Amino acid sequence: MAESSKLDLTLEKPKRIGESVTRREDPRLLTGNASFVDDIHLPGMAHVALLPSPYPHARILSIDVSAAETLKGVLLVMTGAQAAEQAGPLPTFASAPILQHCLAVGKVRHVGEPVVAVVAESRYIAEDALSLILVDYEELPAQVDMVAAAEATGDGVLHENVGTNVAAHEHFSWGPVQEAFEGAEHVVTRKFRWPRVGPQPMETNGAVATYDAHEAHFTIWSNFSMPSMVLPQIAGCLKVAPHQITFPTLYAGGSFGGKGTLFNAPVLTAILARACGRPVKYVEDRLEYMTNGNQHGSDRLYEASLAVDSEGRFTGLRINVLDDYGAYFVLSLGSHGNALSQAVGPYRIGALAYEVKAILTNKTQQCAYRGFGGEVGNFILERLVDAAASELGRDRVELRLLNFIQKEQFPYTLPNGNLYDSGDYPAVLARALQLADLTSVDALRNEAKLRGKRIGVGIATVNERSVLSAHELWMLDRKPNFPLSSTPESVQIRVDVAGTVIVTIYAPHWGNSPETVAAQLTAHNLDVPIERVVVRYGDTDSGLPSFGPAGSRYTVMIAGAIAGASRALKEKMHKIAAHVLSVEQSQLRFGNGEVVCDNDLRKRMTFSDIAVYAHAFRLALPAGDDFNSGLVASFTYDHPYATLPTDDRSSLGVFYPIVGHAAHIVVVEVDEALRKTSILKYVAVHDAGTIVNPKLVDGQIRGGIAQGIGTALYEKYRYDEDGQLVTASLADYMIPTATEVPDMIIDHIETPSPFTELGIKGCGEGGRLASMPAIASAIDDAFSDNRLYITELPVTPSALHEALAALT
Amino acid sequence: MKPTEFEYARPRDLAEALTLLSKEGISAKLLAGGQSLVPMMNFRTVSPEVLVDINGLDELHFCKVEDGRLRIGALMRHGELFASEVVADACPLMHEAYRYVAHHAVRNRGTLAGNLSHADPASEMPAVMLACDATFVLQSQAGRRDVPAKDFFLGPLETALRDDEILIEVAVPVTRQLGWAFDETSMRHGDFAMAGVAVKLGVASDGSCHSTAIALCGVSGKATRIPEADDCINNSPLTATSIARCLDVVRRDIDFTESPGVSASFREHVTSVLVERALNAAYGTANKAD
Amino acid sequence: MKTIEVTVNGTLQEVHVEPRLLLSDFLRHQLGLTGTHVGCEHGVCGACTVLINGKATRSCLTFAIQTDGSIVETVESLANGTELHPIQQALQNHRGLQCGFCTPGILMTMQEFVRSGIKADREQLRELLSGNLCRCTGYETILDALEELVNQNELGAQHG
Repeated sequence: MAESSKLDLTLEKPKRIGESVTRREDPRLLTGNASFVDDIHLPGMAHVALLPSPYPHARILSIDVSAAETLKGVLLVMTGAQAAEQAGPLPTFASAPILQHCLAVGKVRHVGEPVVAVVAESRYIAEDALSLILVDYEELPAQVDMVAAAEATGDGVLHENVGTNVAAHEHFSWGPVQEAFEGAEHVVTRKFRWPRVGPQPMETNGAVATYDAHEAHFTIWSNFSMPSMVLPQIAGCLKVAPHQITFPTLYAGGSFGGKGTLFNAPVLTAILARACGRPVKYVEDRLEYMTNGNQHGSDRLYEASLAVDSEGRFTGLRINVLDDYGAYFVLSLGSHGNALSQAVGPYRIGALAYEVKAILTNKTQQCAYRGFGGEVGNFILERLVDAAASELGRDRVELRLLNFIQKEQFPYTLPNGNLYDSGDYPAVLARALQLADLTSVDALRNEAKLRGKRIGVGIATVNERSVLSAHELWMLDRKPNFPLSSTPESVQIRVDVAGTVIVTIYAPHWGNSPETVAAQLTAHNLDVPIERVVVRYGDTDSGLPSFGPAGSRYTVMIAGAIAGASRALKEKMHKIAAHVLSVEQSQLRFGNGEVVCDNDLRKRMTFSDIAVYAHAFRLALPAGDDFNSGLVASFTYDHPYATLPTDDRSSLGVFYPIVGHAAHIVVVEVDEALRKTSILKYVAVHDAGTIVNPKLVDGQIRGGIAQGIGTALYEKYRYDEDGQLVTASLADYMIPTATEVPDMIIDHIETPSPFTELGIKGCGEGGRLASMPAIASAIDDAFSDNRLYITELPVTPSALHEALAALT
Repeated sequence: MKPTEFEYARPRDLAEALTLLSKEGISAKLLAGGQSLVPMMNFRTVSPEVLVDINGLDELHFCKVEDGRLRIGALMRHGELFASEVVADACPLMHEAYRYVAHHAVRNRGTLAGNLSHADPASEMPAVMLACDATFVLQSQAGRRDVPAKDFFLGPLETALRDDEILIEVAVPVTRQLGWAFDETSMRHGDFAMAGVAVKLGVASDGSCHSTAIALCGVSGKATRIPEADDCINNSPLTATSIARCLDVVRRDIDFTESPGVSASFREHVTSVLVERALNAAYGTANKAD
Repeated sequence: MKTIEVTVNGTLQEVHVEPRLLLSDFLRHQLGLTGTHVGCEHGVCGACTVLINGKATRSCLTFAIQTDGSIVETVESLANGTELHPIQQALQNHRGLQCGFCTPGILMTMQEFVRSGIKADREQLRELLSGNLCRCTGYETILDALEELVNQNELGAQHG
């Protein structure tokens, strides 16, 4: 065996799981060579500008485009009525018929909704043409307040065919809710207001479409997150068959969930390209992204109660929520389905009631934004736990520890049927407390007070569900018209005659690191140096299904797909090597990019050797399908553990069982007079199971926390009483800059999942699932003597001022 | 978001620029740094027919102390003034206020004169000019007017500048014996002020204040000084009483802006806090300067 | 239309431009240098930052016609073939990017600072970077890279 070390030294040890490999996506991004949608340039390409509605709610009486059409450089002008002849309503998951078109038809339902499209030689000219279009509107009563909107009738109703602005109203109850509340020693009830914020990536949504009239084929470049998933729906919308569309893969500049429901740009550019016979590009400017990108998050009013017994144990949770969905309902109650996956948080709460009313108003509609409701549910629950600690006079850490689901209790089934796979919540909290080192805080409080500052410490312990199942989107609807239950992920792996391993993935990059992760996983599975692995993107013509990056699923799912494809490849490579080397398959092992015989190390084949046989020497191999030419395997991996809900919804099934956990501890300093909060220390400990690339995970967590800081302290989409969006620029919608985001202390505990490949759990939504309650909790603590209790975000200086004034 | 069409002129000297303005009048806009103008053009809230690019007017690029005044030409960029030792020495209030102005790249291009001409109510420099009793030199083809800062800022984005005039120079009296302070609160670093205060005041040997100038930005429709508020501080030492009287006047006379997410009552509250802090800080530096 | 002469990444370009053509569009679409990205077109996000005569400038707030006689540098000027510039390498080493959309603007901003040989501590660097928005990274790793570059500069200066 001493010989083996000498013979093996030609190749480096393969880089595998748990190593912070540098990103292979970086070089082209750093040099400006990556292709984003606005970088696509095709000969003859024309540009689109959209005429936005100035009114929140109005009938379109007439549109006169004659002057616009004759402007030099304008190729085509299309109204909503004309577009509706070319394309059906945009895809939607809502089973109630709440129709949205790429251009408004008959009426406008929010400020900024596009009414007319102009195609011109340049975006400049297209925008010039907009000012020449005359639209006659009949204003209708604007629905800006969700409570009032729910009661509106007649002209106040947004969708006549629905007849009400209440798009959905569902009430669920699991476990002994009444018992828990009636028998409780203590019921803690609070109301909350969750603000409308949104992903606000640096890149807006867009598309470039071409139509080949001879082939009757569309090619559409768009920065959406789930090309393969949405393709059949977009095909349906365009009234063509799915095979008539190709979506090449494109880099996206951030999405955070929002680009998952990016339908408008691809549909619009497609019909315009078909109509004018030239490639057509539409990229939203920032104002359009904010008003008509369909990219706003949850916007909610809550009343929630926590039942607590005499020992301080949480026995029941009751949630009543109104959600202002804006003018359309593309993802249905998905963000509530999502939150229900972990509605009880990390606690043993055996009874859960959830009542939700989805209300349509004259605002931009909701998308999925990092957390997709899970972060809101976490906020509500953690706020209730803090309130319980305060009312009961208990220590908030001790109360959490008392109620945590214990290690031995996993897999743990929630009252609603979902499952938590594994976890060690006390260990995560203990590590966070250790890193936070709060011993010096009291001295700091006293010293700070002399400077007019108040110090506060906030704690949040939350679950981070990952690897979504599609039924979160429809399971709260008792009669869904399309009970989607497939969330697959595919990969193709081949070995070429040079011995290079080429991995093709079908999900786009938007800041996650699919190429790097795929390379690490492949190197691990095939035991090959990572430098030998090349990762490519495939387009939708491959036909391989890919749900894409969403719901913190991608790493887990691609790991399963790569494991499956690798198994198939290895099997074949084993067979070939066994035959060529005349040994038993069982004597062969993969190592360092070779297949080697254990008993005789001189008997070895490189990947290249094997591939040459597979590609060139068919007749040197036995007959039979096992030895067919080629060395390629694809694998489609489905959700490792998902079950359907029961018809009566007494169980929602298992829909999000891969569940991580995090503890965030935040120390804030609030300038008492100026009401301004800054973060002195931020500790985040996450348990996302087995980690593939630690520094990448850290990056996701920091980014998520930065977005959480934005939601907690700075961001809000504000509408005035006339339905005008008054925060319609990056100067008004304030995302954190480098001065608002502190350096952080991040650590990991790894409790593997029993259900996934390598025990990986998803963590992409990471920091944002925990940071808002941690920061709110810290601000409360800073004003604990005033008994401040934050129920609304963002806690801007002005908002904090009003909250403190209300206490006196 | 693309701007509308315009004719572009790049005059080689001031005379040419003034001739153009006199000819085009309201159809023309001056382009210096462009950091305020071009966003408005991209949003199409402003559509000048003629853009007069004055970036070539080197004669307007100067910053020097002369006859007891810091004279700043129209083409001095914020970044240059922030880094300038001449400015830090002659007007430390301006230097301090620059810490709050925008961001690096904006300061690279934006000019002081352009910023003052734009007159955003939340902009810091107008308040600094008011506190310093600066004078603005307005030049047109017809002639020159020297307008004191207190007569220049008329309302939100509205100044005394006529369509044919260029603010060619800002003259700030050098008053090293006076104490000074600037303070501001904004949502994020570099944002416009939710409330900002610039203070200058002198302290006599008996400890009483004189020459008090309190200027506010971000709290109402324009940068503002209230003479009665200044008078509350003058002629006595700075005490809790004099400050309280001053704040009463400020609260009475300022129509605090209510804007999305920032209430008038909050503005009123932080203005009081900042005025008090700035008065105390200025009093402190004045003593040192004495 | 007017003819201007502008040096872009070391090459003198003689081009015809419409007055209202923004520098960002000129670089991206007329010259095909798509590394400079457009995030907002109102001067807030900084993704479009390039260097004009060595100074970081929002190209979305500059008209191409204004750059007549100027020197413009974009992200494409940094790398030497496939060899990354030290600023790019530092950003990669520290994981200072994720989606990469803000990255060119950040690189050019950093280039101005590094070239100028500024001496600044981490908090000062934080303020200097505050004009570049990033939605992915949380900034810490970008600051790590910039701090390292500035410190290296200092060391280099010390050693002459």
